[in-house]
Amino acid sequence: MAGFADLNLPQGPDKKALQSLLEAAAHLGYSAVALNHVIDFKEKKQEIVKPVSPSELFPSLPIVQGTSKRIKVLTRLTLVVSDPSHCNLLRSTSANIRLYDIIAVFPKTEKLFHIACTTLDVDLVCINVTEKLPFYFRRPPVNMAIDRGIYFELLYTPAIKDSTMRRYTISNAISLMQICKGKNIVISSAAERPLELRGPYDVANLSFLCILILSKGDRGLLFGLSEGEAKAAVSTNCRATMLHGETRKSACGVVYTVKKPRKVEEEETTLPACKKAKTQA
Amino acid sequence: MATPRRGARGLTPRGRRRRAGGSARHWLWPGGRMARAEPPAATFERRVLRSAAEHHYLRVRLELPDGGARPSVAQFKQLVVSALRELHGEVGAALPVDVLTYEEKSLSAILRVISSGLVKLWSALTLLGFYQNRRCAFRVLQTSPFLLALSGNSRELVLD
Repeated sequence: MAGFADLNLPQGPDKKALQSLLEAAAHLGYSAVALNHVIDFKEKKQEIVKPVSPSELFPSLPIVQGTSKRIKVLTRLTLVVSDPSHCNLLRSTSANIRLYDIIAVFPKTEKLFHIACTTLDVDLVCINVTEKLPFYFRRPPVNMAIDRGIYFELLYTPAIKDSTMRRYTISNAISLMQICKGKNIVISSAAERPLELRGPYDVANLSFLCILILSKGDRGLLFGLSEGEAKAAVSTNCRATMLHGETRKSACGVVYTVKKPRKVEEEETTLPACKKAKTQA
Repeated sequence: MATPRRGARGLTPRGRRRRAGGSARHWLWPGGRMARAEPPAATFERRVLRSAAEHHYLRVRLELPDGGARPSVAQFKQLVVSALRELHGEVGAALPVDVLTYEEKSLSAILRVISSGLVKLWSALTLLGFYQNRRCAFRVLQTSPFLLALSGNSRELVLD
């Protein structure tokens, strides 16, 4: 089974807080986390710095509870885009962007959501949970994103902090799940404190809650989703996102061989070469 | 005189004394009459029950890092019910939840909930953030439809 991963831990300047966050995540059972660096283009011009290598930040990584391996730390970049011109950064082959493991985009308008799902080269599309969505999801861009292997990300920490945000989180999550049928969803925390983290099975239960609400209680699951698919929102989808980021870093093209269909020769009638009569002069 | 066949009335083929009512072929009506049954269609019947357990049990622990006053049993139950009310409203708060055990020292408890309400209770505990304006977190350690399964925890197993 794929290990659990929490793909959004905001990277602050305080190293000790990050270390305690990592220890809490390892104790809860997450095998991989991603340190998130957020770039907001609305503020004054920010440059994309090179990601700090996790091995420099943390000399010793804690061991995941239940296994004997250390927790894996990845780097992630989130771009908050509210204007189509901001996406040019992604298209340009800036050297610093390539160094991040996972790239996510946070679209603020419907047009940008469409662009992010169809053309942009990202791994995750973040869905806003702290306010009412200014646009409705439509099926064509969402289906295209699912075909391309892009995942939608939902955060759960705002739901813990505030009750109005809880309402927005659940309503946005339900509208997303209705359109995408529960596929390609990743749930992550944006926890700043260790107390805001929740265990992986608790988070999987949250996606199961959305499914339960959609299916109107005990009438049975409407979309045919099961508890296993709810658990996938935390484990296999996260692993798929990490692999998607890795392929973006490495592969530029794919070569594959195809067996060419052989033309049917009249082999049955001809004799093998050694038995042919040597009649040529 | 030939010896009677061993399978006749007195002895089973193995030589044991035949028990009354032990044969599948012949059984007695209440009046004592013998009736001949048709051979049984199947030798066993298997019933598979899915989610037949009435209750689900959860072992939870409340994490309150600051050194303030710890909640008592009644306050703990009120905390659980208020978490349900915040997320699922009055109908959710009416969910039958019982606190079976509670340890004030470690703030861990075993809760029992009706099986159809497990997802609601679990999600309400997950999304609870504050207790009396203090930050807290619920950690669900184990969950099972059987109470006996909560007695052992392989995650906290320590092998010397």
